[in-house]
Amino acid sequence: MSALLEIRGLVKRFGGLNAVDRVDLDVEAGEILSVIGPNGAGKTTLFNVVTGLYAPDGGSIVFDGHSLVGLKPNQVCGLGISRTFQTVRLFSNMTVLENAMVGQHCRTRSGVLGAVLRLPRTRAEEQVVREQARSALSFFGSRLASFREDQPAMALSYANRRRLEIARAMATNPKLILLDEPTAGMNPKETEEMIGLIGKLRDERGFTIVVIEHDMRLVRGVSDRVIALDYGRKVAEGTFDEVASDVRVIEAYLGKGAVKAG
Amino acid sequence: MIASKLLRRATAAGLIGGVVVVYLALVGMVEKFEVRHLVGDWLNLGKLMLALAPLLAGYLVTRPRVRGGRLVQPSPGPSTMAGLISGVLTGGLAALGVAFVQLFPDGAVRNIFVAVSPTLLSIMTFGKSLPVGALLLVAAGALLGALGATYRTLPERLRHPLSVGLATTFLFALLQRIIPQLLFYLNLDSTWLYSTSFGGLTPIGAVVVLVVATGLPALWAARGPRIRERVAQLPPARRRALNLSRLLLLALVLALLPRLIGSTLSQVLGQIGVFLLMGLGLNIVVGYAGLLDLGYVAFFATGAYLTALFTGAHLVTSLGAVASPGFVLHLNFYAAVPLVILVAAFIGLLIGAPVLRLRGDYLAIVTLGFGEIARVLVASSWLQKFTGGPQGLRDITDAHIGGVGFRDPQPFYYLVLAFCALAIFVSARLADSRVGRAWSAMREDELAAEAMGVSTVRYKLLAFAMGAAVGCLSGTLFAVQIGSLTPDSFTIFVSITALAVVVLGGMGSIRGVLVGTMLLIGLPGLLDEFEEYRLLVYGAALIAVMILRPQGLIPNVRRMRELQEEEVAQDQWLKEEVPAATVAGGGGGS
Repeated sequence: MSALLEIRGLVKRFGGLNAVDRVDLDVEAGEILSVIGPNGAGKTTLFNVVTGLYAPDGGSIVFDGHSLVGLKPNQVCGLGISRTFQTVRLFSNMTVLENAMVGQHCRTRSGVLGAVLRLPRTRAEEQVVREQARSALSFFGSRLASFREDQPAMALSYANRRRLEIARAMATNPKLILLDEPTAGMNPKETEEMIGLIGKLRDERGFTIVVIEHDMRLVRGVSDRVIALDYGRKVAEGTFDEVASDVRVIEAYLGKGAVKAG
Repeated sequence: MIASKLLRRATAAGLIGGVVVVYLALVGMVEKFEVRHLVGDWLNLGKLMLALAPLLAGYLVTRPRVRGGRLVQPSPGPSTMAGLISGVLTGGLAALGVAFVQLFPDGAVRNIFVAVSPTLLSIMTFGKSLPVGALLLVAAGALLGALGATYRTLPERLRHPLSVGLATTFLFALLQRIIPQLLFYLNLDSTWLYSTSFGGLTPIGAVVVLVVATGLPALWAARGPRIRERVAQLPPARRRALNLSRLLLLALVLALLPRLIGSTLSQVLGQIGVFLLMGLGLNIVVGYAGLLDLGYVAFFATGAYLTALFTGAHLVTSLGAVASPGFVLHLNFYAAVPLVILVAAFIGLLIGAPVLRLRGDYLAIVTLGFGEIARVLVASSWLQKFTGGPQGLRDITDAHIGGVGFRDPQPFYYLVLAFCALAIFVSARLADSRVGRAWSAMREDELAAEAMGVSTVRYKLLAFAMGAAVGCLSGTLFAVQIGSLTPDSFTIFVSITALAVVVLGGMGSIRGVLVGTMLLIGLPGLLDEFEEYRLLVYGAALIAVMILRPQGLIPNVRRMRELQEEEVAQDQWLKEEVPAATVAGGGGGS
């Protein structure tokens, strides 16, 4: 049984810089994998290449039997990979519910004719879209439910925006969710809550999850497996404890000689 | 004492107000608009314009500012003071202007600024001598500035009804050609409401309108929620019946309108309809999908010329003979329209395809070019066989139904009404659908939309095609109404007007487009004195909207109310970090 996502020898260059440098990575269905590394290590670039925002300069990406190389982001989304962004990118003038409903876009079909004539099929589809969006929002309990549904996304608090971004990603009915620093800017209490939620995301909703994170409490709390990137290369892979004690990882964060000095 | 920041703002606003007054006087608007009486002979449009400058200055100085994530409203005392100061400055500057003119021998200034006539000077000094007039100007400015500022500090429940009342009274005064005629047809006496000698409202009429128009919203504020609740509790069938009867009532009024207001004003309505269609089409491209298109006239021209060629027309050859175009179908108008729509949508795709990768300003510039290309093309000798070149096309077939023509204003109005109703229906349905959501998402954040599965290429093309399909109808109607076409009708000003309509009304909002068209097309059509200053008024209106209400007069977000206060500081840690912002009063120090 092959992995859900198989990345082999992936390269992405920006000019002379190898932002992602011959990375191999397998993500097994049902696992939670964390990607760590210092700033500029290529974590977000890796996400961007996988989701089709950047075209890779070499290597292969196979997801669920389909090659992702050369696909547009919307096609990748259609195949079942969804993501959040490091800096929150919601549709800020749309309501909370509408934001989540957009997530259902690639699972639905109706076009202009259906919209104008409001055919029975379109109406049934809208009903499903609404239900799916509500179901995604309900994952966060009352935080995004009831009266919040009709508020514009920009009226949400910072933490709620992050939650809504996850809900929107969930609403695309993906197999794999990529979370890019889901707790950036959150306070310790909210981070604590997020650790629980990421676990629930897998256990209750059955998503496979890859998460980029700087907060080591979260990485320790949620990860089945951790990989560390530095200068675009994978420098370590294993359980949290293995990676956290890896010499190359410590050097990546603290500089060469840090291990000896410590 | 008044805070230094507020003082600075008051000074700036006052000076700007003064410059505006002087400017309005110099371009001749004040004198020209004097003839439009609003209330008896004691308020006319020119005077109102002069008065608005200090009023608005005072009002705007004291508008609440966002500080530390919160709206801070200056307290009443300093507000009034600030308004007073700005008003004094506005009046003072105007007085200085008048004094400056008096420095020179009679008529010297008029050699340069032709509008500075003795009449204007007498208007500006209230018909008194210079010193008295100047004092009056300053005093009036001060009073109005303070009034404007005080108005802002009124509690919302007073200010809202009063605003509605004032706006309604103003509207009634402006509609002085329509409402008396309406009343006349309805066999009602209108002399108590409208003055027969001046044209505007009578003082009594003005008071009555103001009181009623203020009272109704106030009453609604008190009773409205309960009524709305009762309506919401009605069984669905009853509620649908209620909605249907409301719609029928509206349809009835719209159907009777041209009968009541006569032929000249029906023409204005037809004009409004043509631009409404254009606005609705552009609204899909700009408002829904967020693609700034400055060349929308291309679709107006497409619709017009295609209609002419599909239904039959003649062109004038260079020798002056009348000939048939190189390609012409003699279809029935109603058979031609779907065909026109299809071809226009296809042309929309063609224009959309090369600009897919462009965003924002770049897109605007390229589409601007496309608009010009369209005009050059229809005027070119290359297409002369089809478009008639500079001489254009004539004898375009009318849109008959059973022998009834639509060229006269009143029947034409019905044709426009039907098309507009259709376009509004399509727009509304599109907005509230999967397609509309995809457009909104694309407008808000293209990259995120793409990552959430929206094919931006596809939806951009779709927006161009749908925008063209709706917008071309305006050209179709234009061709039918005029019966002849020349390239002069398809200049960049058409694009600008359409865009102004959409932006002023509120991008993405159908009601906004309606209001925008009424204001920008309807008012100038109704008040002849506007014609000369049309572009000036457009420009000023757009700048004002961009600064004060960037979302447009009637934004499509119906939920702006509750957002500012509560949620911003909802997170505990945010609350702890900005305690100072909540206590700030009218300004920095005091």
